[in-house]
Amino acid sequence: MPDISNIDQLSATREELFISLYKKAFPAVAKYVNRMGGTFDEAKDVFQDALVAYYEKAVSGKLTAENDMAYLIGIAKNLWLKRYRDSSQNISLDNVDISIDNREIPSENRLMHFLETAGKKCMELLRGFYYDQLPLNDIATLFGFSGVRSATVQKYKCLEKVRETIKEKALTYDDFME
Amino acid sequence: MTSWNETEQIEMHLSGRLDTGNALVFEARMMLDPELSDKVAWQQKTYGIIQIYGRKQLKMEIEAVHQNLFTQPEHSSFSQKIRRLFTKK
Repeated sequence: MPDISNIDQLSATREELFISLYKKAFPAVAKYVNRMGGTFDEAKDVFQDALVAYYEKAVSGKLTAENDMAYLIGIAKNLWLKRYRDSSQNISLDNVDISIDNREIPSENRLMHFLETAGKKCMELLRGFYYDQLPLNDIATLFGFSGVRSATVQKYKCLEKVRETIKEKALTYDDFME
Repeated sequence: MTSWNETEQIEMHLSGRLDTGNALVFEARMMLDPELSDKVAWQQKTYGIIQIYGRKQLKMEIEAVHQNLFTQPEHSSFSQKIRRLFTKK
C-alpha cells in the first residue's frame, strides 16, 4: 500500500499555483463579469471551472507559457457567456474546448464516496498517475516506493482492486452510469 | 500470468500500445474469454472514474484556496479589490 504522508507536499505545491493564478487572473475575470452585469458568485463559478480546464491542459503538456494567462481568462469569459448570458445571443466557442460537466448522478456519488473513504490510498496513487500525470520518478518518491518498478506494479494492483470494486458496486446500484 | 500483468496488458490494449502481434493475440483471447472482455470493459470505466475523482479532488482544493483568499487577513487587499467591483453600482 502506498504511503500518503508525502502527498501533502504535492497539494501544497498546487495550492501555491492556484493562489498565484487567482491573483494574476481573477481580477480580470471579475471585472469582465461585473461589466457584463454578472455577480461575484458567477465570476467565482466560471473562474474555478476555468482553473480545472487550465490544470488539465497544463499537466498534459498542451499549454505554452506565453499564452497561459490569456487561455485561463478566455475560458472563464466564454464559460460565463455560455452559462449566464441570454441564450439568444450567438456565441462562438470555437477554439475553446470546455468539457466541464457538473451533472451529478446519485449512484456515482455513492461510489465516489466509497472510493474516497475505503479506497483512498489507491485512488490517490491512481490520481497521481492518470489525472495529475506526474512523472514515474516523482510518484515513486512521493508515495514512498523503492523505485519506479515497484510504483508501477502497485499502480496496476490498485487499478485492478478499484476495477473490481467498481464492478461490484455497480452491480448493486440500479441507476449506475450507462 | 499474474493478475497485475493482465491489468497492464489490458491498459496497453485500451491505449493502443500493443504491437501488432500482441494486439492480435490479445483480441483473440478476448473473443475466447468472456471474463477477459468483461475486465476490459470495467477497466475502461475505471479510467473514467479516476478522471472524475481527480477532478472532484482538484475542485475541492480550488475551493479551499478561494476561501483562504477571501477570508484571511493576509490577502485582504486582494479580496477587497474584487469585492469593491461588485458593490459600487
